[in-house]
Amino acid sequence: MKSKTKIAASVLALTLSLGTLSACGSGNNNEPAQTAKPSNTANGGASEAKDTITALLPPVSPTYQENFKQMEADFNKLYPNLTLKIEPASWEDMTQKLDTQVNAGSPPDLAFIGSDGISKYAQMGMLLDIKDLVSADMIADYDEAALAYMKNGDGLYGLPAYMEVHSIGGNKQFLEEAGVDWKKVQQEGWTYDEFREAIKKGVVKEGDKTSRYGFVFATAGVASKDYLSILVKNAGMPSPFTKDLKYAYTSKNYLTVLNAVRELIDDGSMPKELSSVDAGKRWNMFLTGQTMITGKGLAVFENSANKNNAKIDAKDGSAVEGSIKVDYIALPLPSFAGQEPVSHAVVDGYVAFRGKKDPTDEHKANIAKAAYFLSSGQVAATTNNDLFAAHITKSAREAAASMESNRNPDNIAAVDKMLEHAAPARPDIPVELGSKAIKLENEVVIPKLQALLAGEITPQEMYDAVKKGAIEAFGADGVVQD
Amino acid sequence: MARASNVKNRLNRGDGAWAYAFIAIALVVYALFTAYPVVSAFLVSFQEYRPLGSEYIGFDNYSGIFASELFWKAIMNTLVYTVLTVPVALIISFAVAIAIMPLKKWAQTTFKAIYYLPAVASGVALSVVWLWIYDPLPGGILNQLIGMLGIPSQNWLGASSTSMFSLVLMSWLSSHGTSIIIYVAALLGIDESYYEAAEIDGATFWQKMWHIVLPCLKPTTLFLLVTGVIGSFQVFQNAYLMTGGGPDHSTTMVGLLIFDTAFKYFEFGKAAAQSLVLAAIIGVIAFIQFKFLGKDVEY
Repeated sequence: MKSKTKIAASVLALTLSLGTLSACGSGNNNEPAQTAKPSNTANGGASEAKDTITALLPPVSPTYQENFKQMEADFNKLYPNLTLKIEPASWEDMTQKLDTQVNAGSPPDLAFIGSDGISKYAQMGMLLDIKDLVSADMIADYDEAALAYMKNGDGLYGLPAYMEVHSIGGNKQFLEEAGVDWKKVQQEGWTYDEFREAIKKGVVKEGDKTSRYGFVFATAGVASKDYLSILVKNAGMPSPFTKDLKYAYTSKNYLTVLNAVRELIDDGSMPKELSSVDAGKRWNMFLTGQTMITGKGLAVFENSANKNNAKIDAKDGSAVEGSIKVDYIALPLPSFAGQEPVSHAVVDGYVAFRGKKDPTDEHKANIAKAAYFLSSGQVAATTNNDLFAAHITKSAREAAASMESNRNPDNIAAVDKMLEHAAPARPDIPVELGSKAIKLENEVVIPKLQALLAGEITPQEMYDAVKKGAIEAFGADGVVQD
Repeated sequence: MARASNVKNRLNRGDGAWAYAFIAIALVVYALFTAYPVVSAFLVSFQEYRPLGSEYIGFDNYSGIFASELFWKAIMNTLVYTVLTVPVALIISFAVAIAIMPLKKWAQTTFKAIYYLPAVASGVALSVVWLWIYDPLPGGILNQLIGMLGIPSQNWLGASSTSMFSLVLMSWLSSHGTSIIIYVAALLGIDESYYEAAEIDGATFWQKMWHIVLPCLKPTTLFLLVTGVIGSFQVFQNAYLMTGGGPDHSTTMVGLLIFDTAFKYFEFGKAAAQSLVLAAIIGVIAFIQFKFLGKDVEY
């Protein structure tokens, strides 16, 4: 009996040990599935060998992840020898999941990320250049401005899904009560002084307490870098680097924007607790009538507001507690110091990765096919319609023609206008400079902005700190000195 | 008789082999998941790590760390957090243990379960609750409470003046369960005859506490102090979830800095070096604690 127990225990122990070891032994270095055969073609495009393409995808739109099975089936129908294997991820763990896989040398073939993440992965050498893998027909399908965002240097590292602008959103009723001619603003924009006066008028006080602010922008959590980076685009700094690759945020216009950031809080138009207001909080404040304008705004917010309005009408308990009906009005950011308004463009898409081992030509070609399938035609049309986002491929526009949309035509026109002023892509910025700028932003700009918003430092002190950090990172000759 | 003894010896030898086999499992797991990462981190700390091929750069990562203002600020923040949280946590745990000791067994168990509950709850869920408590607007729970005392509302997590205190308060009011259970177990281990003798001598409650309980609990206190300081120096979750290290790095702890260095900037070599420096600091502090507080302590 004792002997049997020992044998059973040892078998269990051995199993445990082997399980541990086998876990370490498995790996996916972006190798094609076992059934894949080597290709003799230059780009492998003509091969019929079986292959599997993996994609790590977050909930891009409210219904996006519900369509995964259909997307996999449609892709397989289009390419019977290919399998698209989608791994869903939440927005919260998307970056961490991807980063872990990239650093382990076994990323997915495709991941849905913002184009601003390209330089980070390009510097590590983990991106796959698909420039020679996509056909001329595929390229011709995309709007040039959006496609440029997926480039870095000479390489093309993915295909864009949509191009959006970061705007701000107003409550139509409150705007009109404050005397804001929002249609004019949508078409002609506004200066900082005009904006400042408008949001002052949007403030409602009950005794000493402010029951409604003129403007609330999310500045905490994941939104921490948005506020300033969106504002400075309208102050003659469309990119952190000038065309001659000097760091731009040492310009005096940067100080002008910092002064404005503080003024809006000191005016009482924005809450003094702004540094703790995150994306969820400010949206709640907008829907509950605690602010006239909110930021950042995306086209999809109109959809969210409409859905909440419908719930209020239907007396649905899942409507936001204390919310009121809101007509969402998309508005541009104000311009500063007499500069031209420049919209902060957001181009997200399907970026192609490589593992430690270089994938076969055949597999590379299949990755490009999958990226095109996901970012164009029916898939893109469905997703972008759900997001209220502008289509950037001819095929998606055609597919979306028959789809219903209840977007406000004024908002569509306003967003189109803002897209006309969108900051151009900057594939010329070397990845080393880009990563230094990101580090400077995380270690100096965002922490100092938090302190500025909390009233702990002055705009001049923040400007000096950013300038000092920039000179340390790029050298005195590497920054704008005006 | 001799034959029986031989058989017994053979069996004993067999037991020894089995014992080694079972120890080996733990050793393999330790080697794979603890020793190997530590050795690997040591090697990576001398490299500029890249997934497609790292490069040896000598002591550059270490010199970079020591020249970094942010690293020293993070060390100072961690030190302040440790000084403010660990002693108070010990006092709270000790006080609660003393308070529940005279209770009946079922009441003791109930309180121990209640105090241990935060330890099994998800840290993320707890942080969400605390974020709700620390709502910066006047309608926030804590702001309403202090409003009753006539104190103006505070931007708890968004201002440097209150952010560290907010994390410390969060620590004071949660996660004492393990320490309480250890203290209760230690209190139960004190021989009753000490108390009886003290009562015969007319000792007061505080005299018994000072002359019996505290000396008898010294090994337990030292253990909790050392593990508490180690845990506090490695604190990451609260700062990551509640403040992200802000504002203006006022709550950037070393653990969070290491995470950012590794996963935000992908500087794994520097992050490994930071980890090893942190391990060295913790080792020195633990040594000092044992040196000065552990003279008359035996385990």
